[in-house]
Amino acid sequence: MAPRRSPAIALEAALEERRVLVACGSGGVGKTTTAAALALRAALAGRRVLVCTIDPSRRLATSLGKGQLSGRPRTIDIKALEPARGGALFAMVLDVKGTFDALVLRHTPEGPERDRILKNRFYVHVSAALAGSHEYMAMEKLLELSNDERFDLVVLDTPPTRHALDFLEAPDRLLGFLDVSVLRFFLRPYFKAGRLTMQVATRTGAMLVKLADRFLGLQFLQELSEFFLAFEGMYDGFRARAAEVQALLRAPSTGFVLVAGPQPAALEEALYFHRRLVEKKLGFVAFVVNRVHLDPARERGRRGPHVRLASGLAARLAQTLREQQVLARVERQAIARLEVDTRDKPLLVPELEQDVHDLRGLLAFAALVFPRGREEARAAGVSR
Amino acid sequence: MLLDSLLEHRLVVLTGKGGVGKSVVGASLALAARERGKRVLLVEVAAPLEASRRLGGPRSRGRAVEALPGLFTLNLDPQDAMDEYVRHVVKLDLVARRILANPVYHRFFAAAPGLKELMVLGKIMVLEEARQRLSREPLYDLIVVDAPATGHGLAYLKVPLAASRAIPVGPVGHNARRILQLFRDPERTALVIVAAPEEMAVVEAVELHRAAEAEVEIEPQAVVLNGCHERRFSDADEAEVLRLARSDAAGDVEPGVPLQAALRAARRQIRRRKLTRFYRDRLARALDTPLVSLPFLFRETIGLDELRTLASALEAA
Repeated sequence: MAPRRSPAIALEAALEERRVLVACGSGGVGKTTTAAALALRAALAGRRVLVCTIDPSRRLATSLGKGQLSGRPRTIDIKALEPARGGALFAMVLDVKGTFDALVLRHTPEGPERDRILKNRFYVHVSAALAGSHEYMAMEKLLELSNDERFDLVVLDTPPTRHALDFLEAPDRLLGFLDVSVLRFFLRPYFKAGRLTMQVATRTGAMLVKLADRFLGLQFLQELSEFFLAFEGMYDGFRARAAEVQALLRAPSTGFVLVAGPQPAALEEALYFHRRLVEKKLGFVAFVVNRVHLDPARERGRRGPHVRLASGLAARLAQTLREQQVLARVERQAIARLEVDTRDKPLLVPELEQDVHDLRGLLAFAALVFPRGREEARAAGVSR
Repeated sequence: MLLDSLLEHRLVVLTGKGGVGKSVVGASLALAARERGKRVLLVEVAAPLEASRRLGGPRSRGRAVEALPGLFTLNLDPQDAMDEYVRHVVKLDLVARRILANPVYHRFFAAAPGLKELMVLGKIMVLEEARQRLSREPLYDLIVVDAPATGHGLAYLKVPLAASRAIPVGPVGHNARRILQLFRDPERTALVIVAAPEEMAVVEAVELHRAAEAEVEIEPQAVVLNGCHERRFSDADEAEVLRLARSDAAGDVEPGVPLQAALRAARRQIRRRKLTRFYRDRLARALDTPLVSLPFLFRETIGLDELRTLASALEAA
């Protein structure tokens, strides 16, 4: 089966029409750069775009040429790039703890219950480290931002999880953890009695409590049970919110861009992620494969007189070419496999001569993503 | 030199941004130690492509397997480590089995904060303490740990610290402190940062270094710069390459090797070797830590031969 339509057109259309774009992929593949470049391109086309990163390191700030970003959207000055009318770019980083706090504030009324959660030792030290809480809070923030009328489009740079799939399942896992109805039976005794005297409903339940006490300790369980009990009233609110997140992710106005490196292992992961997106009926838009090494011999050389070189230099030149052809071949084969398996052509971004660390670099990068924009890239002074 | 000082430790922990080749560096380090006659264990955490396979050995399946004589690898699954711990604590097989089959146990483990990390680090501590039955000598002379790239820098190493602070009393706090002691002990443990000659990887390496010292109080022992491109052409040859690339010279360098294609490749090589030097200098300026370079390998796959090449580069460093 032939690809449905040109991936560049699909991505271009997504930048014009969709409300949310999620950039996914494993770490170290240029995901942040891709997210920022796509956001910039949409902003220059006249949309009001927010790019939000989860990455606590300063990659987005670096690529936007900014020293610092915070948990609140900040305007990025793009006037020099002459955006179309109305176009604006905003950027922010996700504040995991702050988002968690905001969630608690929203779901609990002011008073002792709210204070008990916010002061719970477990919550203070561990909420930001809860498995999947980065991912969960990213989703939470995305929901909030997607309803923010200041922005036409939100581009989300997802956490660099080893298995990119983690972040789709994070809300479910966190909910599973906070599902008090399951954990209550073995945690309430601690809260109520304060020591290990309560009878628990089932034999295995009793064993679990004993085990938990033996290797987690009483204090841990007390803190934990307090944490759960505090969340008991919020659980329904959480669940409703998670359902909204799922609905947002499935909405036709939301799209996913898969970012990968050209190495076989990186493309395997991208393929796996694509499969998961299809299974979950999420709107895949395009693959972007970064830092592709092109075969130096891909263009027919000019014909001309034979040039005599010192034999040492000739041999080294030949070796250099052979090496890079190996690299290009390995990548080309891996990309071909991806095309066969997904019936979709990835957008290939050749390795750049320089790292991207300012708006012009981002613009040039964006232009490389779209083949008919290659001329724009040359004009911006980035050669391949 | 570098190898000498690393081999004085019991534990070498590798950390670094995803995509810099940490697992390949881990495997070559383990191989280099084995060449020195050490009995080595290489620990990976839920690695999709096990080092054992690269070394031509069997699949780990959650156990230490001898990939080469004297070189063991273990692909650790956090859930397995947790189950093992439960069996160790419960002792009664029937009861343990019932607990392991309980859905509450699984939900708890799937989402409990830091539990996976604690279990993995705890297992590494147990491996470090393992002794041979008769001689009471350590089971492994050296354990190389390929810590997973989390994207959150030192997330793994911060867990025992957070746990010991959040839950100071009881077994969790106690074990977390023991783990922390092991990883902070400069006699026993060496932290090595792996980077690549690229902007983001270098920025992150410097940040990791700072965070390791400031937040976990571990001083990194070395930085390995992986995927380096070294000088291949003399200054005169580089100038000649650039001159020819600008000219309309054509033809073949050798039969089947078109000049212009070779020049394109050479210009890329020159660019990469300059970038390598630039980032190496930057790391050297920013960090007062021994810096070792490993070459970029132009190969279809990284197998035993390639790992040997890298191991000898480590030996020579």
